[in-house]
Amino acid sequence: MFTLALRSLRFRVGAFAASFLSTLLGATVLMSFASMLDTAAGDHVDAASEETLGTMATVVGGWGLLLVVFAVSSTLTLAVRQRAQEMALLKSVGATPAQLRRMVVGEALVVSTSAALLAVAPAMLGGRGLLAVLKETGQVNEEIDYAFGATGLSMGLGITFAAAVLAAFLGARRATAMRARDALTDAQLANPPMGLARRIGAVLLLLVGASQGVVTMTVMNGEGSDAMQTAGTASITFALGLALLAPLLVRTVGAVLTAPLRWFAGTSGYLTAHNVRRRTQQLANALMPVILFTGISFGTLYMQAVENDATDAAGLTKSTEDKNIELLNFVVIGMIALFACIMLINTLVATTTFRTREFGQQRLVGATPGQVLGTVGLEGLVLACSGIGFGSLAGLVTLIPFTIARTDRVVPDVGPAMYGGIVAVALLVTLASCVLTARRSLRTPAMEVVSAA
Amino acid sequence: MFRQHEEQPARHPEALRLVSVRKVYGSGARAADAQQSTRAAQAENQVTALDGVSLSLPAGSFTAVMGPSGSGKSTLLQCAAGLDQPSSGVVVVDGAELVGGSETELTKFRRQRIGFVFQQFNLLPTLTVLQNVTLPLRLAGRRVDRQAAVRVLEEVGLGERLGYRPAELSGGQQQRVAIARALVTNPRVLFGDEPTGALDTRSARIVLDLLRRAVRDYGQTVVMVTHDPVAASYADSVLFLADGRLAGRLERPTAEAVAERMAHLGDEVLAAPAPGQSYGGSGGPWQPVNQGV
Repeated sequence: MFTLALRSLRFRVGAFAASFLSTLLGATVLMSFASMLDTAAGDHVDAASEETLGTMATVVGGWGLLLVVFAVSSTLTLAVRQRAQEMALLKSVGATPAQLRRMVVGEALVVSTSAALLAVAPAMLGGRGLLAVLKETGQVNEEIDYAFGATGLSMGLGITFAAAVLAAFLGARRATAMRARDALTDAQLANPPMGLARRIGAVLLLLVGASQGVVTMTVMNGEGSDAMQTAGTASITFALGLALLAPLLVRTVGAVLTAPLRWFAGTSGYLTAHNVRRRTQQLANALMPVILFTGISFGTLYMQAVENDATDAAGLTKSTEDKNIELLNFVVIGMIALFACIMLINTLVATTTFRTREFGQQRLVGATPGQVLGTVGLEGLVLACSGIGFGSLAGLVTLIPFTIARTDRVVPDVGPAMYGGIVAVALLVTLASCVLTARRSLRTPAMEVVSAA
Repeated sequence: MFRQHEEQPARHPEALRLVSVRKVYGSGARAADAQQSTRAAQAENQVTALDGVSLSLPAGSFTAVMGPSGSGKSTLLQCAAGLDQPSSGVVVVDGAELVGGSETELTKFRRQRIGFVFQQFNLLPTLTVLQNVTLPLRLAGRRVDRQAAVRVLEEVGLGERLGYRPAELSGGQQQRVAIARALVTNPRVLFGDEPTGALDTRSARIVLDLLRRAVRDYGQTVVMVTHDPVAASYADSVLFLADGRLAGRLERPTAEAVAERMAHLGDEVLAAPAPGQSYGGSGGPWQPVNQGV
């Protein structure tokens, strides 16, 4: 099975590119920060510097583990699911589910090991850069020398490895449990109702997020930068709650937009309206990362901007701890945003590729390539705009309470440029992933596409 | 009703004409992908699917195309229907020559002239029966006459299933939806690529009866590829294809006669006219079949 795993890797480089890339990025960030522990063990390190370096390594390490598991499992699950036919074939020639699981885990091990090893060099550069930033802002002693040693290496490799294996087990379990026929035919159209656990979880997250917002406005009002603790998590929690509700949100958007799409966007609008209503599950999977990306980056970046303005207004200079928090905010948000983007691209590329046959059918009925791309683009636009809308809502759960607590205003005095940037990235990533993938799938003649399945 | 005669512009008496159509696969870009792109390897990779096929079918005829696997019958259909472009030769549908161009141009050509029914139905899973049938009109930017679409669906016996989704229908019902979808645009030629290939005997008979009725009652031109002698016997005439060349024809076929002819097709190939020459006995152009219909 391991030989088979190696062979399937050799011939399916594209399918594993997303897993590889997210692992590579995850391992790079992890090791850059983990090497702070090695650095802290060196000479000229005073107690305060040691604490700063330790915080950097552990906070980012924890978030990194979570994100790598999340990203790798989602990319790997999709890579495995796209091979449902191959899995069915292997089953039909006598492979047991256990053997298939071993194959998938084997693939994950090869991908994650090579990605983690490749990450060592960029991680050393990243760690050096991080230390330079810490020195420049006076957060650590100028005398400290950078070190990349056993701790950084083992922490980076260990976490990446553990995350990949965990993710592979999760992905393989789902893939091998799936019956081949279901995977190939109607499964893609099934809109299973949301489970009770998911509904309850979503409502709880929304309530917790909202109450963190309320606490920020009331209890934390006038407490200074401490308000960031509750305010920062508010948008993350609220965005996660909305992400869990994604199928419901897609249905709502579909119901609201059906009439305008049909009236104003012609045939493409007509097809888009149908797809939004019938492909709830796929769209929900893509909507989640857009909400998380928009909500968390919008909330946190603006919170930090308000905080900086408030500190300046009070005529204070930042303490080392303030600087630590700011840097950590940016790093964690950057990681979340990056992984959300990878997940988004991966989900969209996979689901759009999966629809190659459907595009072929549309073309055979008389759709020009332009009409197919128009429909895909319109769907992407609906997806991106809904995600941006709901994500912005989540961001406001952080931003408004924090502004009230910190400045006695309701709307912060920060320009819209950053928000514009966030919106532009979300739109660009979504549209480019959908349209470019669809365009590639249009290169194959329609007859070939349709008869291949 | 299969169509509304009052909206019809005059039809060309010749629904479909092919002149020396050749189709060669495996040249150029694809062979370049191979590791050895030497000229010899390239020649070896080339497959001549159609080797100079010429034929002419009058409007209102029902023709079956038969031949063993790999004889080029699906390629013939795809080239004639504008789904694929011949390597050389001329395809004329309803008096208009199919000129090679972008996919968009080919699509627009097909929209106005050609209906296609596939073995695997190819209905869009997200749309209902009625929405599937009206889709070609929407895509072509034509007025969607809901009543006309419903009438066509009633004609194929699915007037009660307008709101169903393809997955909720049997194979035979799905193929009837596909036929309604192909007929709703009023095509000059309706092509069928093994339209009964995925159906049980009973459903296949219903589908074939529908096609024959479209020809008899409404003057529709139908060209159908099949490997089933019984299906071919529903046509007015059968064209036999072997190794990419026309290898005979049969008027008013019976299933037995077709099966008999298929069994001896190999012998005929050996005695067939040289490549590039049109089939028709004395070397003249292929005579229109079924002039009387």
